[in-house]
Amino acid sequence: MDELIIILVRGIGLGAVFSLVAMSFNVVHNSSGILNFAQGNLLVLGGLFGFFTLPQEPELVRWLLLVPTAAVFYAAVLAAQGYITLLPLRSSVEQHSWLITTLAVSVIISAVILIAQGPFALSVKSPFANFALLGTRTPTPYALAVLLAVAWYAALHWFHTGTVTGLAISAIAQDLEAAQAAGIRVRRLQILAFAISGAIVGSAGFVAAPVMSISADSGIIYVLNGFIAAVIGGLGSNAGALIGGPLVGVASMYAAFQFGGQFQNVVSLALLIGVLMVRPQGLFGRTRARRV
Amino acid sequence: MTGLLGPQGLSDRAQLGLGIATIIASIAVPAMTGNPYWSHTFHLVNLYIAVAVLQNMLLADAGQVSFGQGAVFGAAAYTVGIASSLHGAAYPVAAAFGLLAALALGSLYALPALRVQGYYLGFVTLSVAMVFPELLVSFNDYTNGINGITRAVPALNLALAWGLTPLSLLVIALTSAALAGHAALRRTRMGRQMRVAAVSPEAALALGFSPGHARSAAFVIAAFGTGLAGVLYVPVVGFLSPSAFHVELSIFFFFSVIVGGRGRLLGPILGVWILYLVPNVLMVDLVNYRLIGYGVVALVIMLLFPDGLVGSIENRLRRRMQKPGSADVGVQWIMAVTAAGRAKTEPAGAVPGTAPVVAVDSARKAYDQVIALDDVSLAVTRGTIHGLVGPNGSGKTTLLNVISGLTRVDRGRVSILGQDTTRLPPYRTAQLGVGRTFQTPRVFDDLSIWENLQIGADFGRDRRRADWLFAALHGVEQRWRAQRPDFLPHAQRRLLEVLRVIAMDCDVLLLDEPAAGLSPEERRDFATLLSYLRDVLGKTIILVEHDLDLVWHVADRITVLEAGAVIAEGAPDAIVRDPQVRALFTGKRDA
Repeated sequence: MDELIIILVRGIGLGAVFSLVAMSFNVVHNSSGILNFAQGNLLVLGGLFGFFTLPQEPELVRWLLLVPTAAVFYAAVLAAQGYITLLPLRSSVEQHSWLITTLAVSVIISAVILIAQGPFALSVKSPFANFALLGTRTPTPYALAVLLAVAWYAALHWFHTGTVTGLAISAIAQDLEAAQAAGIRVRRLQILAFAISGAIVGSAGFVAAPVMSISADSGIIYVLNGFIAAVIGGLGSNAGALIGGPLVGVASMYAAFQFGGQFQNVVSLALLIGVLMVRPQGLFGRTRARRV
Repeated sequence: MTGLLGPQGLSDRAQLGLGIATIIASIAVPAMTGNPYWSHTFHLVNLYIAVAVLQNMLLADAGQVSFGQGAVFGAAAYTVGIASSLHGAAYPVAAAFGLLAALALGSLYALPALRVQGYYLGFVTLSVAMVFPELLVSFNDYTNGINGITRAVPALNLALAWGLTPLSLLVIALTSAALAGHAALRRTRMGRQMRVAAVSPEAALALGFSPGHARSAAFVIAAFGTGLAGVLYVPVVGFLSPSAFHVELSIFFFFSVIVGGRGRLLGPILGVWILYLVPNVLMVDLVNYRLIGYGVVALVIMLLFPDGLVGSIENRLRRRMQKPGSADVGVQWIMAVTAAGRAKTEPAGAVPGTAPVVAVDSARKAYDQVIALDDVSLAVTRGTIHGLVGPNGSGKTTLLNVISGLTRVDRGRVSILGQDTTRLPPYRTAQLGVGRTFQTPRVFDDLSIWENLQIGADFGRDRRRADWLFAALHGVEQRWRAQRPDFLPHAQRRLLEVLRVIAMDCDVLLLDEPAAGLSPEERRDFATLLSYLRDVLGKTIILVEHDLDLVWHVADRITVLEAGAVIAEGAPDAIVRDPQVRALFTGKRDA
């Protein structure tokens, strides 16, 4: 019973991190159809930011100030990556160059982390003590990740429905050519979307750092689980991402408990193939009118 | 130097010759000079090239992104190792198991490919590539875990002559065969099928085949060749460890294709040489930086030479050598050609009958809140032209999609040539003899003009039934085989698509705004062509058109749609007088 509660609580906490990655996918995907393969490594970089800026005994004020700092810093980094990614799309007919450029960036980040930090996972201290929940001691960052996911969901919802800029991005998502014809500066908004996705994963990586695996080869795990969360929820739907993440997180935690940690990724993969075979549009995805 | 330049630049034949020469030389030269280090290195390089060639086919021809070919390669190699080293099977027996393992994994990729494509498969395959070495470690009872498996195949390493071994010959044979196979595949029906499915799945459906099947076939073919390379990996390297089949190996194969030039036969060779030899041989001390190298090289190539190295060279050659020309696909010309061809085979078109060829019965289709079709019924008589008109968003194209099966109705029934097609997959409907064109013509710039026509006949009911057309086109065959349609003006692209539908030899033609973008003269010609298709070739035509004048002139009957509902139906004269229709089109005769 205790095990199940731990699996559930930590699965939801870990799943919230996947939700955040999934939402950061959605923001970019909705504006440009691009899925940024580097998003997982950027999450890890968010954790690395914590590793470099937080002392052994981090005080709360410093931590609170660093959350937005991490968000802004990685927003800038991703705006730059977005600029590079969108560059070939400007002239060439090559519409899938992003698959390669974002994967290349992901590979580069992994390689740099490996050379700079070695193959071992780094640990980051949390300023918060563990808290008691249903009789288990739970590290606070799990709860913070859930709060952050809900906060980003609310912020994105407000942004997409309540601001002119957000509405313009939604317009791009619906019909790129019409948006262009309406005078929307598409490229600028797409880079903004990249920046927002950077703020999401940057803050997520920083907040969840104490419970994350911060190493050269964990980025790819986060990007895959984030993608699976996005697919389960329906690619493009943030509400779906909010639900999909914890589903993947709990399944992954359960797999680790039942079969051992080395099978976590196998279970995630099986989940992905299963969803794609049965319901490729996801739980919340809608079927669209066919464009011919 | 004729034959060196194809429609794409350097011809496939020239690239194939150069490629095979490179493969043979890279194995033979180190063998003859007796340098074991280089000999070993180039055996491995050529195995990698074989895998990259298949990755190239998968990416460029079938349009499928796989980040997991390294896992397929590893599955074959490891199965050989486990069967032969740990269970004592003979190498040939183990090799058969290895190939089966590769095919099994390839099928795992092919399965989701039936339903989804693009980046979805990218993630699936990337996951597999990531999980594969983890599983090798987890199941250490079967795989020896991180200790790896040692297995030499001495029989393959006996020197034959000039330092060559049976193994060297096998590697040369496999890699050359992969390259030659890729070149040959492009000339086959299946190769064309893959390329069409990659660019436009809906065109594939309209031409009468399932794009999912084409994608899956590509994955299985790739797994077969990659599996053979994996089988040879064991005797070449003699040692297997999980770290050799890390996710980086898969990414290396993918990047090799990109760097070399996707779709070019020489691309994978150059890509593997650059990405493998440069970091592993020339910069041995910097081997830790290899991954950064992969990433940076792929990024820079993508930004500066999006067509890869071979592709960029080709583009320069092509720009210098290509002769301008036109394809003279004119309306008069099409009629002359079809008349000439037709005269030799069948005397005249079919006689108009009374039973409806296409019948739509109370069709309803809604997207969320929007009702695209509301209780629409339609009956089209054989050998007639039936016009569908109405304002934008009135449901004309949706109705066309419902007939061709691309869109499923929520309620109602569709039948074509007496057969219920309501639930039939669209490619099966097409096979009944239903051809269609699209608002934006599905003309494929990667195929020659001739191949663009051929794909019509490829999937028609009976391929020989279009022979008369190709016989009549004999005069332009040579030229059209050498030309790509990318320079064709808009009107000719549409006509090419119409000609393709004629090549499909279908009874029912669904034309979606075929006259959009044509000049007034071209429109008149086009109207003539439509009458000709009906009167001489006996086709039944359903025509969606914004140019009301055109429809009024050629249509036998007209159905007027508004907001998803039929508001009028009848002969053109009656429709013109209908007050409701007049209200709809008043003051905007070309709405």
